[in-house]
Amino acid sequence: MSNSVISVISRFLEEYTTKTSNKLKVVDAYLFYILLTGALQFLYCLLVGTFPFNSFLAGFILCVGAFILGVCLRIQINPDNKGDFLSISQERAFADFLLAHTVLHLVVINFIG
Amino acid sequence: MIPNVSFTQRCVKSIAHVSWLASFPAGSSSVFCLVLLTVALGAQALTPSHHLSLSDVDRLKGLLSQPFTDLASAYYSIVGLSKLGASVADENDACQFLKAQLDPMSVDSLFFAAEASQAIADCEVSIFNETRDILLAAVSEDSTVTQIFRAVSALSSLGLPLASQEVVAALVARIAKEDNVLAITTALQTATRLSQQAELGGILEEIEDLAARLDDLGGVYLQFEEGLEATALFVTAAYTLSDHADTEPPLKEDQVIQLVNSVFSKKSWDSRSEAFSVACAAAALSSNRFHVPVIVSTQGPATVSHSQPILHLLVTDILSNPLASANLLVESAQAVASKSVVLSQAPFSLRNGIFELNFMASQPASGYYQFTVAVTGDSRLVANQVELKVKVSTEVAVTNMDLSVVDKDQSIGTKTSRVDYPFKAKGSFTADSHQNFAMNFQLVDANTGVELTPHQTFVRFHNQKTGQEVVFVAEPDSKNLYKFELDTAERKSEFDSMSGTYVLHLIVGDATLENPILWNVADVVLKFLDEEAPAAIQSKTLYMPKPDIQHLFREPEKKPPTVVSNTFTALVLSPFLLLLILWFKLGANISNFSLSPSSVLFHVGHACMLGLMYVYWTHLNMFQTLKYLAIIGSLTFLAGNRMLAQKAAHSKIFRSTIKHVSGT
Repeated sequence: MSNSVISVISRFLEEYTTKTSNKLKVVDAYLFYILLTGALQFLYCLLVGTFPFNSFLAGFILCVGAFILGVCLRIQINPDNKGDFLSISQERAFADFLLAHTVLHLVVINFIG
Repeated sequence: MIPNVSFTQRCVKSIAHVSWLASFPAGSSSVFCLVLLTVALGAQALTPSHHLSLSDVDRLKGLLSQPFTDLASAYYSIVGLSKLGASVADENDACQFLKAQLDPMSVDSLFFAAEASQAIADCEVSIFNETRDILLAAVSEDSTVTQIFRAVSALSSLGLPLASQEVVAALVARIAKEDNVLAITTALQTATRLSQQAELGGILEEIEDLAARLDDLGGVYLQFEEGLEATALFVTAAYTLSDHADTEPPLKEDQVIQLVNSVFSKKSWDSRSEAFSVACAAAALSSNRFHVPVIVSTQGPATVSHSQPILHLLVTDILSNPLASANLLVESAQAVASKSVVLSQAPFSLRNGIFELNFMASQPASGYYQFTVAVTGDSRLVANQVELKVKVSTEVAVTNMDLSVVDKDQSIGTKTSRVDYPFKAKGSFTADSHQNFAMNFQLVDANTGVELTPHQTFVRFHNQKTGQEVVFVAEPDSKNLYKFELDTAERKSEFDSMSGTYVLHLIVGDATLENPILWNVADVVLKFLDEEAPAAIQSKTLYMPKPDIQHLFREPEKKPPTVVSNTFTALVLSPFLLLLILWFKLGANISNFSLSPSSVLFHVGHACMLGLMYVYWTHLNMFQTLKYLAIIGSLTFLAGNRMLAQKAAHSKIFRSTIKHVSGT
């Protein structure tokens, strides 16, 4: 059982490092950063308490939102998915990403208190 | 004054009704109510609520006696005072004044001087030949009614002849042109100076027409909207003319009373002419041949008792002059409480101008009685049925006062002691929580021995030490025996459970008692169970300021120590370093950064937007942020659009170049 899990993981890692383009790896690194930030915020909330609750929510939702937007960007600029996004060029995907982020930041900053 | 309490109450009610009705839209319900109202009012004869008392008449004479400076005020004063049966201070002086001030060319001047001189004995105003011509010339259709009146009055006062029929014709013509109240009243006054053979019928009819123009206020007052003076002058003119023409004026009894109320309700007058008009009206109403309103009033309060058994009534006219031939009769005297008739058809006897009746001779019980009296003897009398409320008062005596302390389970015999008024009981009475303190007594009329039930029978306990006072009501049973019982245990809350010596008072009072009683009967020692006794200070601190309430503000929530939050802030920011390291390792670089203006602008704009987010967090509100965001955002968008388009075009060329190169 564990043997197959380890072999799956190693296979995955090998494929990942060879097959994915650099651009996608950049985005992946960004996603990983967002994930870490959100996890650390959650850890603080668990350990110390929810005061101030609105700030915690703001920060956490920003991380979640940014992660989702990053994932959307990654899907849209992946050349393997080109068939699904014929009308959306890479620059357009990036522009959408920026616009959505602006709105997300505006809302979160309003809520952070 | 007339103690017409019931009538006044009805007036107030009817005024309230009228104002209530005024708020109704016209409808059958309001008509019905109006009918009901008139029926209710008509059921009770109207009596005057205002007249001139002797002090009012003096005040009126005082106002008229003020020194005069011109002919008009001289006229008002001299003639007004003569109507009231008085005269000016110095008649000779007045006469000289009239002669000096006379202007023989002016109709008004002649009128004032002539009329005033008529009122003074041995005062003759000299006339010239032209006087008659001037006065006759004023009598025509072209002069005003006032001018005609003054000319006609001057002519008749000076004894000069005049043609009555011409005057009548002129008056009729003028009335048609000047249709106001004052003009018609003046025309009526003019007609009183004409010969009785003249055709006065048409002018007499004007009285009825004018009376129809009077305003009815609440069924109590009848007056012209022009005011008091116009109403008083109308009354004078109507009665003077009716006397002159020997025809009864077309005014109903109720209307006469309402006119009396209007004219004599004002007791201080603004001007000499107003005082003059009131004096003339008073004289007309007290001595005309048809209607004389009569006033029945009591001398002092309307109370009789054993010490004062006689009821005194005054019967006067509106000038408070006693009526020469009048007889007073009690039609019925009815007790208010029991509605039984005590007296019927009993005459008053006249002594020194005052009507007397010994009411106590009919041995009435104490209380209030409704009298209906009638004035007879003169067919001219108006409002001669009057309602009065008379009080019969008496003295009360407390008898058979027995005080006792009764055991609750009644195993020990009661100890009763009798106390006589006004002495105090010899020993004190002790009652603790197992006993009741009881008091029995009777209240009787001192003169007749009949049992009484006055309004106020109180038993008062007063603690001398603490100043506490507790009052109870003693109630009579069916046999009119008063009983009071104090259950010590039950009533301890009223005493605040303070044991001690209480002084006992009996208080008896009533409107019909001449001797209210405050009697210190005994001392009572009350013992309450001590464990329930609160501090005596309680009653004292009831009205002292209470302790201050401090406002507790909301406690701020507990925050974690700064060290912890600082550590975690650093921890949360650390993945950013990790990101930079990863990007570096992946080979992300900015080598392809083109320095075109649009890309520079885009990056600057984007940085500005992030900066704006920070500023929003610290300083701005949403509206300001949106404003700035719109500006910066649109610039960034345009720049970004350009940049990305350029990039797209550039990468397309790049890719096609690569393909081309690899293809070849």
